[in-house]
Amino acid sequence: MFLDLENLTMKFGGLTAVDKISINVKQGEIHGLIGPNGSGKTTIFNMLSGYYKPTSGKIMFEGKDMTGMPAYKITAAGFARTFQNLRLFKSMTVLDNLMVAMGHKATAKVYEVMINPIAARKEDDVFTEKAMKILELLDIRKFANNQATSLPYGHQRRVEIGRALASEPKILLLDEPAAGLNDVETEELSEILEKIHASGITIFLVEHHMKLVMKSCGMITVIDYGKKIAEGDCNCIQNDPVVIEAYLGKEEDLVSR
Amino acid sequence: MSNKRKIVKTVIFVLGAIFLLFLPFITKSQYQIHIVNMCGIYILLSLGLNIAMGYTGQFNLAMGPLWGIGGYTAGILNTKFGLPFWVNLPIAILLAGLVGAFVGLPSLKVRAHYLSIVTIGLGEMLNLILVNEEKLTGGVLGILGITAPKFLGIPIDSDGKYYYIILTFVVLGYLLARQIVANRVGRSFRAIRDDPLTAQAMGVNIGNYKILAFFISAAYAGAAGALYAHLNTYISPDIFDYRSTMFIMTMTMVGGIGSLSGSIIGGILLPILQEYLRAIQSWQLVGYGLIILLVVLFVPGGIIQIVQRKAPNHKITLHRRHKSTHAAKKSEENDVLGS
Amino acid sequence: MTNILIQTIIGGIGIGSLYALVALGTTMIYRSMGLINFAHGSIYMVGTYLGIIWYRGMVLGLQVPFPLAFIIGIILNAIFGFFLERVFRPLADVDLRNMLLGTIGLGYILDNLMIILFGAEGFAVTSPLPTKAIVVAGIKIMPQNIMFIVVAAILVIALQIFLSKSKFGKAMRASAMDREIARTMGIPVNTMNAITFAIGAGLAAAAGILAAPIVYVNPAMGAAVGQKGFASAVLGGLGNIPGAIVGGLLFGVFEAISAGFISSAYTKGIAFIVLLVILMFKPSGILGEKMVEKV
Repeated sequence: MFLDLENLTMKFGGLTAVDKISINVKQGEIHGLIGPNGSGKTTIFNMLSGYYKPTSGKIMFEGKDMTGMPAYKITAAGFARTFQNLRLFKSMTVLDNLMVAMGHKATAKVYEVMINPIAARKEDDVFTEKAMKILELLDIRKFANNQATSLPYGHQRRVEIGRALASEPKILLLDEPAAGLNDVETEELSEILEKIHASGITIFLVEHHMKLVMKSCGMITVIDYGKKIAEGDCNCIQNDPVVIEAYLGKEEDLVSR
Repeated sequence: MSNKRKIVKTVIFVLGAIFLLFLPFITKSQYQIHIVNMCGIYILLSLGLNIAMGYTGQFNLAMGPLWGIGGYTAGILNTKFGLPFWVNLPIAILLAGLVGAFVGLPSLKVRAHYLSIVTIGLGEMLNLILVNEEKLTGGVLGILGITAPKFLGIPIDSDGKYYYIILTFVVLGYLLARQIVANRVGRSFRAIRDDPLTAQAMGVNIGNYKILAFFISAAYAGAAGALYAHLNTYISPDIFDYRSTMFIMTMTMVGGIGSLSGSIIGGILLPILQEYLRAIQSWQLVGYGLIILLVVLFVPGGIIQIVQRKAPNHKITLHRRHKSTHAAKKSEENDVLGS
Repeated sequence: MTNILIQTIIGGIGIGSLYALVALGTTMIYRSMGLINFAHGSIYMVGTYLGIIWYRGMVLGLQVPFPLAFIIGIILNAIFGFFLERVFRPLADVDLRNMLLGTIGLGYILDNLMIILFGAEGFAVTSPLPTKAIVVAGIKIMPQNIMFIVVAAILVIALQIFLSKSKFGKAMRASAMDREIARTMGIPVNTMNAITFAIGAGLAAAAGILAAPIVYVNPAMGAAVGQKGFASAVLGGLGNIPGAIVGGLLFGVFEAISAGFISSAYTKGIAFIVLLVILMFKPSGILGEKMVEKV
């Protein structure tokens, strides 16, 4: 029992965006969540990260009930996420962006950090070292002191992933990480996903880019109109007529891109 | 940094330090050194506002009245209980800070533009307390006869002598502010300013940090208040009001919001400017207003923007700049997480 | 006791009607331009002068009857507001802190201009109505309260008709809902904003001229009313037109009740605290916030 979404439902007024969805994500896997536009994928992520309180249903993580928990507590429990529309901290450097996410694991007290410059420096040194390692992993170490939003789009994506990794998560929620990336960048992204996977972090991935999903994901859940319509590994899904129907019916971009 | 630049910087620093140390001997009148002292007090107020509004993006528009909480705490403790400056100062800082933290509670629920009028209103309430609780505060007449501080037995009874106390606290205040904004606390503050929802997702407890920001800004106001009370030996409610809040906000933004150096620039420039504008009497407000507009429209980062030749990279708006999907839009509309 | 309560509430609704007029301007401008205008109090003050100077015979010695001065003041301030929008326009897109400070700066300039024209000393205005209370079923009602409520109601109804029935009104509503789409439909968004500003200025002038007999007319009279008008708009939900009316009326009633039953010295503070408590439960205001999609 790692991450369990049990009959999760989200209603906005009269609109049911997510309808009794149950998904089981196993520890250490890369689990994909796909579906046509508007099927409720980001809504599910927003519930997982604490932005929405589910109308009904439960989110269980490592046996604990996380439903309706405030966002920062969810992060403390080991969740981290990236966003469909990049949400980097505009006024900060790449390094600072990452270090923000490390704050919740800090041990020194807040007043200590404010009054004692030595304690503060020690803490920052530790954070900087950890952050640099992550940037190294993502191959953007040399941009550490650049303004985060001044980097090219593909690199900004990596900063976002780096920032999520900086919070030392057990599970990483990636919301369309390949959006806006070209083929080369997408290939690099799948390598990054593999590196993260190898380090033991579970990945829960929302994506439209089918090649990436089929290549990287061990298990895939397909939803449409807020309901789960299929689940299985990539071969299963590729050949599932229900899935094909859902995508064809929406005239969506299909399996091969 | 090249050696030449290092030498230049060191020379400027040393010259500046000498200038500051001997300033009371350079100024020509009691009046002038008094203005300098007031600048010091305003610098502290501006540093406080900058931390809350510049770095954390929180509208603490109760600064004038919070300044009053500090001033009256010192004044009351001194005239009613005979306590000296050095005891009153930390108490004023703490008390003002706590009141400020209370003023900041709405920031947990209410968005920036609403928070502005809420803190203005709470400030009004504080000012009304100063005006109406006559037994405690002396009402509109205020408190007279606050004693001058003593340092090692020497009474600090002139503006010239008081200058060194103010200088010390301004330097300490500035260094402390630098410390606060430079590390984890400052990063959390800036994350809240840039994107509170994402900050939360990154594990920042934005509620606690917002209250902390208010506490700190009010603590600075408290210090400024105690310094003011013992400097002037007389306080009354009318300076501790919304208009002073606006004055502090103006100097912070003209100097450079989001930059501590901006607080120093603004805290020196605006009080001096105010004295000059007093001279042109009838056009005073127009002069003020025009300066404000020039800054807001052309140099939104304040004078420091001109000095550093860098435009500000932080902006607080209420709307997202792009059309979003239905779900994300709903999240913005149902934004009960505050701002 | 209940009689006094009812009297107090009626008095509150009276003043609240004036707050509602000011709040309407604030809210409409926010709705259509996304501008938070901390100079609205100054616009209110200018409008008061523009009407009262006719009533007081300060213009060419003409003694204009109150109702006519009222209408002239509204029209003049509306025209003033129409052109003033151009000056405020650049402030609608800047950082929120700059927006507040910038509008305050413009307010200072307006205040100063009025001081130069009319002096910082103000004057009292004689009431066009008898100042003796009317008694209805044992309840004392001041005639000016009736005037406030009735006139404000007429203006609000007129506004409602304008917005829902006239071509202008519909165009304004479209422009306030979605700028981009309105533009592609050929609606001149800037003109719509200018008209909105003009309406806001006109309503503020109406409030000020009505209030003139019971306050002291001077260039500083706008500050408190501006704050309370903004608070009222926030209370009902910024950008929400029915909200401005509800907010204004409620704010007036809070003030009246706290002045009458709690403490007249702390009236203003208490009203703000009630506002705060309500916002803690409904952070977007009682009826909810509404703003234009700027993109």
